[in-house]
Amino acid sequence: MKQLITLKVNNDQYEIAANPWETLLSVLRDQLGLNSPKRGCDAGGCGCCTVHIDGGAVYSCMMFAHSAQDCEITTVEGISKGKSLHPLQEAFIDKGAVQCGYCTSGILMSAKQYIDEGGGSEEKQIRQSLSGNLCRCTGYQKIVDAVKSVAENKIA
Amino acid sequence: MSLTSLEKFYKPTNSSELVSLLNDYEDSALILAGGSFIHGLAARDLLWGVQALIDIRGMGLTGVSEDSANYQIGATTRLIDLARTSLFNTNPAFAAIADALTYPPKQILNVATIGGNIATACPFFDLPTALLALEADLQIEGTNGARDISLREFALSPFENVLGSNEFLSRIMVPKTNANKASAFLKLETNANDLALVNVAASLSLDSRGNCCNVRIALGGGVAGTPVRALAAEQLMENQSPSEELFKEAGELVLGDIDPISDHRASAAYRSAMAKVFTTRSLQRSYQRVLKVQGNSI
Repeated sequence: MKQLITLKVNNDQYEIAANPWETLLSVLRDQLGLNSPKRGCDAGGCGCCTVHIDGGAVYSCMMFAHSAQDCEITTVEGISKGKSLHPLQEAFIDKGAVQCGYCTSGILMSAKQYIDEGGGSEEKQIRQSLSGNLCRCTGYQKIVDAVKSVAENKIA
Repeated sequence: MSLTSLEKFYKPTNSSELVSLLNDYEDSALILAGGSFIHGLAARDLLWGVQALIDIRGMGLTGVSEDSANYQIGATTRLIDLARTSLFNTNPAFAAIADALTYPPKQILNVATIGGNIATACPFFDLPTALLALEADLQIEGTNGARDISLREFALSPFENVLGSNEFLSRIMVPKTNANKASAFLKLETNANDLALVNVAASLSLDSRGNCCNVRIALGGGVAGTPVRALAAEQLMENQSPSEELFKEAGELVLGDIDPISDHRASAAYRSAMAKVFTTRSLQRSYQRVLKVQGNSI
């Protein structure tokens, strides 16, 4: 049976009807049209669906939409300001960190928590912070380079 | 997700609301906290017949407090909050907890809870092994009030625990300890998001003569249907002078207390071989930490 819930996503309030088994990922993509979180493994293993809940990265395929009420939800759509991209997005373009692009929005959100928390430019720490995300194209180095360049510039 | 019978989602705000829901649904309610193993349960066909999901994170069961004997951890305290608790990441006696929290990716740390980690009774999880070596106790609440049991008595077999259909895990108690103690936890895994092939936690003190005492060794990660204590190895080490040989001998002895499974992650033979190695290493690490506490050089 669908129950009404209110979700706050990228500073907008949405009132939606969701079945109790629907994940946050399904609701974001299929009801709200926010397609940056990707459906990859849909089992909490690949990280493509990573979004922020109250500033922390979570797998949206593994959180029920009902559990996400009363939280601040942020997707990639919410990190740029109009046409002005987030420094991480700029860095991913500059460093060529995007190939097929399917993992990119999840990795951006993981990297954003790292940068938001003042993460440094040590490669080992950056790799550790991205351990919950898989990329099958880039071999990770260019992604790490992109995050490192933002950490070094202390912008974001 | 195989939640085909699911009808409703609840978010109780106190124990009596929760107990009343549990009574209404009997065996067909599933208590939910972080939800980070929900796909694991689905894959094992363990969500069959669940009619109600009950998210208990709004009940205020969070945070670490203390009484004269124990540190008390609310069941829905997230792993990220434990990792940031200075008691656990600075006191060597509780280092096994901090060690166990270095393995999961942030997407798990940010949602998974200590209570969910224990109550799932998954034989591959890490924190239960660490907490077993620290001799943690559990508070269980239900229709008839609260009762305490030892963590050792909680898990019965894979994904089965002692909770009655109207009971829930509310609190984890970690005994306070003397200063002269250290612990360690090690996990063998294939990648950051994988379950353990083997995990081991050790805790030990040194007496006034420098001999091992209060030795506790726990193993998990599929070395049996539940995490287990390695009692024979613990007894072997009691009152003995610490040495590489002793740590290796203890590693050999754990085989008598485990009964590893074979699955797609590892064969029973490989788990046995690694249980020995990781026991020895976790004892070495605990010992090095005790020496550091005492201010001796290693």
